[in-house]
Amino acid sequence: MNRAMYAAASGMAAQQTQLEIVADNLANADVAGFKSAAATFADVRAGSIGLGTTGVGKHAVFAQGKLVRSGGAFDVAIDGPGFFVVERRGARAYTRNGEFARDADGKLRNSAGWALSGVRIPADALAARVERDGRVVIDTPAVKNRAIAHLKLASFASPEALRPLGATLFAATDASGRAHLFAPGGRDGPAIAFGMLERSNVSVIEAMMQILGAQRAYEANAKGVQAADEMLRIANNLHRG
Amino acid sequence: MDGMDWTASAMRAARAQLDIATHNLANASTDGYRKSAAAVALTERGLTVAARATHEQGAVRTTGRAFDLALLGEGAFHVGELTTRSGAFTRDRDGWIVDDRGRRLHGEHGALRVPEHARIDADGMIRDGGRVVDRIPLPPGTHLLAGALETSTVNPIGETLAILTAQRAFETAQKTLLAIDATRDKAANDVVRVR
Repeated sequence: MNRAMYAAASGMAAQQTQLEIVADNLANADVAGFKSAAATFADVRAGSIGLGTTGVGKHAVFAQGKLVRSGGAFDVAIDGPGFFVVERRGARAYTRNGEFARDADGKLRNSAGWALSGVRIPADALAARVERDGRVVIDTPAVKNRAIAHLKLASFASPEALRPLGATLFAATDASGRAHLFAPGGRDGPAIAFGMLERSNVSVIEAMMQILGAQRAYEANAKGVQAADEMLRIANNLHRG
Repeated sequence: MDGMDWTASAMRAARAQLDIATHNLANASTDGYRKSAAAVALTERGLTVAARATHEQGAVRTTGRAFDLALLGEGAFHVGELTTRSGAFTRDRDGWIVDDRGRRLHGEHGALRVPEHARIDADGMIRDGGRVVDRIPLPPGTHLLAGALETSTVNPIGETLAILTAQRAFETAQKTLLAIDATRDKAANDVVRVR
């Protein structure tokens, strides 16, 4: 009965993990550039009858989110794979959240203060936009369509191994490999969509279904613990003093 | 084997059924898991229970990850010396296809190492552009679906029922055991009581 009890308890723990991840996905369903996470489990075996389950990992799912037109003056989105390179106080991170605003010194920063690497909008710019190939073009009173920078995107040999820093930021790790910078807008490669934002790739309906499923599976596993406990009680009653 | 041995074997069998059902339930969210069935047999040593593998196809859900692989049909993936039906793989920075524990997926020519934009086709062929890199061996009639995972075949309702059944069987056996014990008690202490 102890074996059954531990197996059922491992199932409860797995469903708990599942619920936490799905809840986190749902909470970030409206965050631009958010990538949903998923957990992987494996069964534990010893001999023919198993010993329950164990979590073996959690990874981000980098499937493309829908691009939607937004109101922001400096909003950008990536149509295809790749990451924006952002910097803050010498640290470097990667994100697909392209919600930027121009700050006092012309840097394009997101709400957490991370600035888009390599771009500074001059003070005399009347309008700025980013072309699909990453060229940052501004209009000044004197010149129109002046290219001032070339936005590069980062790709990784193994993006799943990136380390999440908060909701939409990622840091490179040994396992992900170094960032490979490339220019967007190639024939098959990703392109920049200006004035657009990438919505999160969380499917709310699917997440709701996962929550319902996890809840029921949790209850069923709890029943398993109860049954094992009840059988131990019955076994204890075998001996009538 | 007397009555007591028989009922004791029934209790052991109920416990084994509980072990199998709880293990199944615990793996309701384990991708690629196929539920174990309890094969109960009546032998001269009483009731015995063995866990038997089942071969029902699990439902397939799409994940949006290029190297997640679902097997449609029989067969398994070779990761090192082990085989598994769990197809949650990623490409690591050196191009090896690895599972979440870092074990490498094997093709026909050993561990698979693929370029970044390699595509895995339904027949198991791994192609980079037009060039075939390697092949994931599949038994005849089995197909691969990339970007998807096979979900667990565990049905929580069925397993909950199995748990209840095991519990009741255990209870019945215990009652029977107590009845046998009471009979023996009578035989030992009352029938031949010398007054």
